[in-house]
Amino acid sequence: MTNDSIISWSVFFDDALFSAMAAIGFSSISHTPQRAYILCAVAAAAGHSLRFLLTMPGGAEMNIIAAATIAAFIVGVIAVFVAKVIKVPAEACLFPALLPMIPGLYACRAFEGFVGCLSNLDETLFSHNLYLFVSNGMTCGAIVIGMAIGANIPIFLMKKISFQVTR
Amino acid sequence: MTTMTDFDTECEDVSFSGITMDTLGRFLAEYSAWLWGSGATCVRIDKNVSRIAMTYGYMADVAVMPRHVTVCLSDEGGNVHTYTQRVVRAGINFDLNTELSALSWSIRDGKLSLDDAEKRFRTIVGQPYGNNFNILWLTSLANASFCRLFGGDAAAMGVVFFATAAGYFLKQRFLREKMDIRVIFFLCAFISASLASGCGLFGWGATPGVAVATSVLYLIPGVPYINAASDMLASHYLCSFSRFADAVILTASLSLGLLTSITVMNNCL
Repeated sequence: MTNDSIISWSVFFDDALFSAMAAIGFSSISHTPQRAYILCAVAAAAGHSLRFLLTMPGGAEMNIIAAATIAAFIVGVIAVFVAKVIKVPAEACLFPALLPMIPGLYACRAFEGFVGCLSNLDETLFSHNLYLFVSNGMTCGAIVIGMAIGANIPIFLMKKISFQVTR
Repeated sequence: MTTMTDFDTECEDVSFSGITMDTLGRFLAEYSAWLWGSGATCVRIDKNVSRIAMTYGYMADVAVMPRHVTVCLSDEGGNVHTYTQRVVRAGINFDLNTELSALSWSIRDGKLSLDDAEKRFRTIVGQPYGNNFNILWLTSLANASFCRLFGGDAAAMGVVFFATAAGYFLKQRFLREKMDIRVIFFLCAFISASLASGCGLFGWGATPGVAVATSVLYLIPGVPYINAASDMLASHYLCSFSRFADAVILTASLSLGLLTSITVMNNCL
C-alpha cells in the first residue's frame, strides 16, 4: 500500500466519522426521535463518504451536483428501510442524514457576492462579485434540488413503506 | 390532493361513526397546521389528513398556503365545508411529526375515537421535546465536525465548538424571549463568527478562515431547503416557494451577521 492511498483512506474514514457526528447533532437540533440518532449517523456516513469517493481527485472525479444526487439517493434508500425498523417517518431519518451535505458554504458565499456587488461600483470588482454570487448561488440551488430528487425517489418508489411506518 | 381511487380503496372496512363535519373539520385544520409547523412535507400532510377524514367517511383536500392551511371536507351527499387555520411556527420537530403521523394511524385503525384523538393531540402538541442542554452540546459537536469536514484543524474545531455553544445558547434564550427570528439569526451568526475569529486574532492553529466560515453553519436552515425542493417535486409550488423564501431570508440574515463580524474583526486587527 502506498503512502498516498493510506492518506486517502484515512481522509475517507475521517469524512465518514465526522459526517456521522454532524448528523447526530443535526438530529438533535431537528428533534428527531432518539432511537433514530445512530441510524441517521450511519446513513449520513454512507452518503457523505460516497459523495467524497465520487468527487475525489484520482477517483471518479464526478461533478459535485451529480455526486450529491447519487449520494442522496443512497441515503434515501437506507432511510426508508431504517424508518421501517424503528417506526418513524422516513423524512425523520432522511433529513438529518442529508444535512451534512447541504451546501451551506455555497449559500453564504453567494450572499457575500451579492453584498460585494452592492458595495463595489467599480466594474471589475462588480463583475467578480456578480460571478461569485451567480456561480455559488446556482451551484447551491442545483445541489439542493439534486439532493431532493435523489432522496425522494426511494420514498416515492416505496410509498407503502414510507407512509405506513408509523402504523 | 386525494383522488377518488384512493378514497374507494382506503374506505374499505371503515364504519361511519356519525361525528359532525364541523368537529372533524376544525380538528383536521389544527392538526394540519401543527404538522406543517413541525416540518412535514405537503405530501405527508395530505396523506395523514385524508387518512383521518376517510376513517369517518369524508373526503379531504388540503391547500397549504404561506400562512394558513385550508382543509376542504366533503361527504358523499355533496356537502362541502372549508376550514382554515393559521400555521403554527413550532420549529422543525420530527418527534412531533412522528407522533402526529402515528396518531393518524391510530384513528384509522379504530384504536381511538375522535374525542380521545383530540385529547391525545393536545398532549402531543403540549409536551416539551428534547433536553436543551443535550441539544446545545450535540449541535456544538456537529458544527465542530463540520469544521473538520471543511479542512479545519484541531484548534479550529475547538474554537468552533465553543463559538457554536455560545451562539446556540443565545439562540435558545432569544427564542424564549420571542424575539424576531431574523434578528436572532443575525445576532447569533455575529457572536459565533466573532468568537471564531479568536483563531486568527491569537494565532491558534493554521486554519482560522475555516473556523470563521463554518462557525455559522449550524444556523443554515437545511430542512426548509430540502422541504421546499420536495414540495416542488410534488407540485405544491406555493408552499415550496414560501418555504424557500423563508429559508433564503434566514440565510441572508445569518450571512449578514457573518459579514458584519468579518468587517468588525478585520478593523480590530
